[in-house]
Amino acid sequence: MADETAVSPRTENAALQEVLAAEHAAVWGYGVVGAALKGDGRSAAVAAQAAHRDLRDRIAELLTSRNQQPVPAKAGYALPFPVLSAHDAATLAVKLEDGVARAWVRLLDQATQKSTRTLAVENLSATELRAVSWRGAAGQQPVTSAFPGLPT
Amino acid sequence: MPLSPASEALPDDRGRAPGLTRRALLASSAAGLALLVAGCTSSGKNPAEPVTDRQAEAMAAQVRVQAALVVAYRAAAKADPGLASATATLATQAGQQLDRLRAAAPVARSSSSASSASASASPAPPAGQDPKAWLAAQVSATADSHAAACVQQVGARSALLGSIAAGLRGQVGQLT
Repeated sequence: MADETAVSPRTENAALQEVLAAEHAAVWGYGVVGAALKGDGRSAAVAAQAAHRDLRDRIAELLTSRNQQPVPAKAGYALPFPVLSAHDAATLAVKLEDGVARAWVRLLDQATQKSTRTLAVENLSATELRAVSWRGAAGQQPVTSAFPGLPT
Repeated sequence: MPLSPASEALPDDRGRAPGLTRRALLASSAAGLALLVAGCTSSGKNPAEPVTDRQAEAMAAQVRVQAALVVAYRAAAKADPGLASATATLATQAGQQLDRLRAAAPVARSSSSASSASASASPAPPAGQDPKAWLAAQVSATADSHAAACVQQVGARSALLGSIAAGLRGQVGQLT
């Protein structure tokens, strides 16, 4: 049931499509991240990719249940910088998670249903937990963010 | 690596969410305050983001919750001076979150003394308990509170509470 708000279900669905697009990009991007890492780093990338793949499928199913056509993955994505080292890979992972975080926050802003906001806040937290780990691997300080997904 | 010249940029390089700037966040909060001052609530003239009395009170409550966390950081640092430097950044972020919550819930400003009183009454780490573990529990509980409140709010208020909850989840991992 929609909550009291002037934001329409259409805007909520549009925000869900943005989340789905971000998840598509994350799934693709973590392939690049994992390819540049070994050992525990690669395991973390594989786990993160699996998490984003699951979310991608979950969001797509949700949109389909609403008679919305889920946005497909793009044929290709532009890397923001060459990924030539473990440091580059961790930095890319941070960017992937930050991008997904923005989409989840956008969804919180646009959601009309409590169930959607619950989905968003839970996964925004999961995204930030991964981001904290990758910021540490990338040598970024601070590793925590006061406002994940929000403009600073 | 197969990259198309016309490929889509990764999320981080895409434009920021157009409707969710800091200005928009604060503007919506100000509009909410105006409605409250005028005695209007959900049927007010702000079509984008009406705020009910319950939502306004809930935001004020979250300000108090966050204020208590800021005090908890101070209390933990006092109990364990070694913790002060280790948690300085986290404490600063908690303070930034409080500032932004207050800005998003202007109605809470009028009850700032109540917030301060509540914060000053916040418990210190119990004797014999590891201050760091105690602080982690405080941060976790605050994150839980904001996440629950986020679901009950709408629009920019929900986005802010959700973001802060996520940020605090990240802090917990640094304290355990």
